[in-house]
Amino acid sequence: MFNFSALFRKTISISLSVRKIILPFFLWILAPVLILTSAFITNGIIIFLFGYNPIEAYAAAIGITFGSVSAISETLVKSTPFLMTGLSVAIAFRCGMWNIGAEGQFLIGVLAATWFGTKIAILFPNTSWIAVPLCLSFAILAGGIWGIIPAILKVTRGVNEVISTIMLNYIAIHFVSLMIDGGPLQETSKTGPQSDPIAEWVFLPRLFEAHRIHLGTGLAVILAIVLTFVLFRTTFGYQLRAVGEGAAAAEAAGISISQNTLRVFFISGALAGLGGAIEIMALVPHRLTENFSPDYGYTAIAVALLAKLHPLMTVATALLFGALAKGSFAMEAEVGISRQVTLMMQAIILLFVIGASAVNFFRKYNRQQKL
Amino acid sequence: METENILELQKLTKAFGDLVAVDNVDFELQAGEIHAILGENGAGKSTLMNLIYGLHQPSDGNIRIFGESKIFKSPRDAITSGIGMVHQHFMLIENLTVAENIALTVAKFSSKDGKTASIESDTESPPEENGIPSKLSTFRYKKNDAIRLTEALSQKFGLAVDPSVLVRTLSVGLKQRVEILKALAVDARILILDEPTAVLSPQEVTGFFKILRALQADNRSIIFISHKMKEVLEISDRITVLRHGKKVYHGKTGELSAPGLAREMLGEELSEVERKENKATTDLVLNVSGLTVPGSRNENAVLDVSIQTYRGEIVGIAGVDGNGQRELAEAIMGLRPITSGAVEILGRQPSGTKNIRKCGVGYIPEDRRTMGIITSFSIADNLMLNIAHFEHLAKRGVISQKAKNRAATQLINTYDIRPSSANIPAFALSGGNQQKIVLAREISPQPELLIAVNPTRGLDINAAQYVHQNLFAQRDQKKSVLLISTELDEVLQMSDRLYVMSRGKLIEATAHRDNIEALGLLMTGETDPDV
Repeated sequence: MFNFSALFRKTISISLSVRKIILPFFLWILAPVLILTSAFITNGIIIFLFGYNPIEAYAAAIGITFGSVSAISETLVKSTPFLMTGLSVAIAFRCGMWNIGAEGQFLIGVLAATWFGTKIAILFPNTSWIAVPLCLSFAILAGGIWGIIPAILKVTRGVNEVISTIMLNYIAIHFVSLMIDGGPLQETSKTGPQSDPIAEWVFLPRLFEAHRIHLGTGLAVILAIVLTFVLFRTTFGYQLRAVGEGAAAAEAAGISISQNTLRVFFISGALAGLGGAIEIMALVPHRLTENFSPDYGYTAIAVALLAKLHPLMTVATALLFGALAKGSFAMEAEVGISRQVTLMMQAIILLFVIGASAVNFFRKYNRQQKL
Repeated sequence: METENILELQKLTKAFGDLVAVDNVDFELQAGEIHAILGENGAGKSTLMNLIYGLHQPSDGNIRIFGESKIFKSPRDAITSGIGMVHQHFMLIENLTVAENIALTVAKFSSKDGKTASIESDTESPPEENGIPSKLSTFRYKKNDAIRLTEALSQKFGLAVDPSVLVRTLSVGLKQRVEILKALAVDARILILDEPTAVLSPQEVTGFFKILRALQADNRSIIFISHKMKEVLEISDRITVLRHGKKVYHGKTGELSAPGLAREMLGEELSEVERKENKATTDLVLNVSGLTVPGSRNENAVLDVSIQTYRGEIVGIAGVDGNGQRELAEAIMGLRPITSGAVEILGRQPSGTKNIRKCGVGYIPEDRRTMGIITSFSIADNLMLNIAHFEHLAKRGVISQKAKNRAATQLINTYDIRPSSANIPAFALSGGNQQKIVLAREISPQPELLIAVNPTRGLDINAAQYVHQNLFAQRDQKKSVLLISTELDEVLQMSDRLYVMSRGKLIEATAHRDNIEALGLLMTGETDPDV
């Protein structure tokens, strides 16, 4: 006899497994692949329309970003400042503090490292083991203090942090210019608006002799892991998130809003400042120049938001931004595509990624409506 | 009365995944009828209404309105078909005035003839009917027209409200009026009211029922969703009872008595909470003296209030919503600056909410969705949202996941929070279950002092009884409870000593506890009820 009920049960269990296992797998693993594929097809069409060979352009871009061990190392190096500033923004936004000041905090970190590296480090020559950590701490402190200014203004005077952080960015940018253009940090020869290179024993060591990937990159990734732990496993992170996601409820629970505001701005500024120090301590020419930061601090907002303010996801999005920057450069240099077009292509890829996360958002939203 | 069915639901079913929220429900609504839908939280009342209102689309079955079979893709479709809904959580724009909120609805939806209001009415004054301008400009907002429309509407239906004040400054009861006015402004023939009395005081309920009668006399139909039997019996013409998504009872009001309806609702008999002998002591727990607190409009929300609570007693504060109760509670909790006076807890004067919490004070705030829970947090995270708790669950700042989940699971089970998985975000829970999170968190650690503001608002009978039992248990364990509630019945049933709060002042009213009339007078601002 044929067992209908068994067949029926089996059919149901298959349909259940489709819904509960295969569909989520598709959404979380295959969806990103599909999204990136469609973004690259769209960009391919654009490259084609501008009269270039898309295959050639992509080959150049992929070759320079992931084509070899050294290419990967370079991409990681390029991604590091995006990661550091991205983490800075992510942690502040998590607490509901709209810190737009990563750019300024980054630069103040660079400035502190430069000052330490060119002036103070001279006092104890050839002592990497003490000079490097000291220089990093110096930048962390400088970035943190710069970062805490808008928090103090907010807590004591109610100044909106968006305005104060943007203003502090301008101050930081021009203060840096002042210091290296006629100021005390200008190079000894006084020829251009740049500092002397920092002392050799303040350089950040490489991870591998043959490649440029350095200790700072490793530090940034470790920080991303540490921050994830702090956010989701400690009372400190719990309080930060509570203030960010429900300030009134947090306050009623006895969590101090002002205390957390001060804390998170210090940490946020410290992370950006550390990011700045890493750049100058790890990379040639090891000197502070004008336009030292190609808007890392602003791009960081996109890096963090794209990662949904999750420190671990920030590693991935920073890598995406680093790869995009490198890939565009390759298309410009090797295929001759103009900068405007590559910038447009970067924006298209980001739009696809953001669009996809919006789809996920709506899935969540619908679920919320249903229950 | 006509017996024409203006709304019919035929075998309506709505499933969300495996969960069937509305199961094969038949329902009909006659013109000029008040039809009550009774059911516990989660019985499917809200889902059924959302189906009628176009927020959800049925999985199966038919909605017929004015004899026509219709599918509403969105609330917009429902509104143009003459259905208005007043949600439990109001859908008002807080930073606009009353008139602006109403103008927005009118401009967005159709006027009486079913067409969109024309642009021409911009230049000339709109045509009027019963003193109600029927049209407002779609494109240009004219302040005076909007105010006139609002005034005319509120006069016609006896819903007094000042058109030019900002909605956020209104009390909950007044906000509800604005919601009803909004529905009437687009001439809704069918009004769906989701738990409308949950936010009202007894006096306001009486007034509110008058409004409903007036609307009924105007041949409008009302679907009245509630789980309060007394009110349903008082106001409705017919009753439908839902249980677990199914229609279990349907009949004329009065055919079945309150216990009978309760049995249909719960599927079991109810047991009354017993009120035990008062065992109050002379140990002072909370000592508020001469407290004056500024409100949001810089007036004195709380004026020279002194109140003491002792170990082993429940002190109740009754009063109409918006008379300073919220401000008083927040000032005691250190959440609001104080103009003058002092708050002493167990002989100490802790400064800041953190220290007050650490003295062992539990707090059930009035506004659970913004002050009680964090909707994006998981149930487990919400269950430890109290500085005295989560510091307890942590070792050197690291929260023990094991301890956290164990505590959460235990609370979820004792308080029957559904769904019962600790990692589900709180926004996925119904209002009643969100309230249970707050209660579980604040009551279970047995605080020395519990400040409870409307603790049973939005809860079903069983859950409310459970809360009452817990408050009594607190009292019996020689703890102190300050119960602030707009539900007079609750305050009368629970408190050992009774106060009434009115316009920021507190009046001792224990002597009047058996005299509802005197209490009513005190609530409306009379200082001496014996006159």
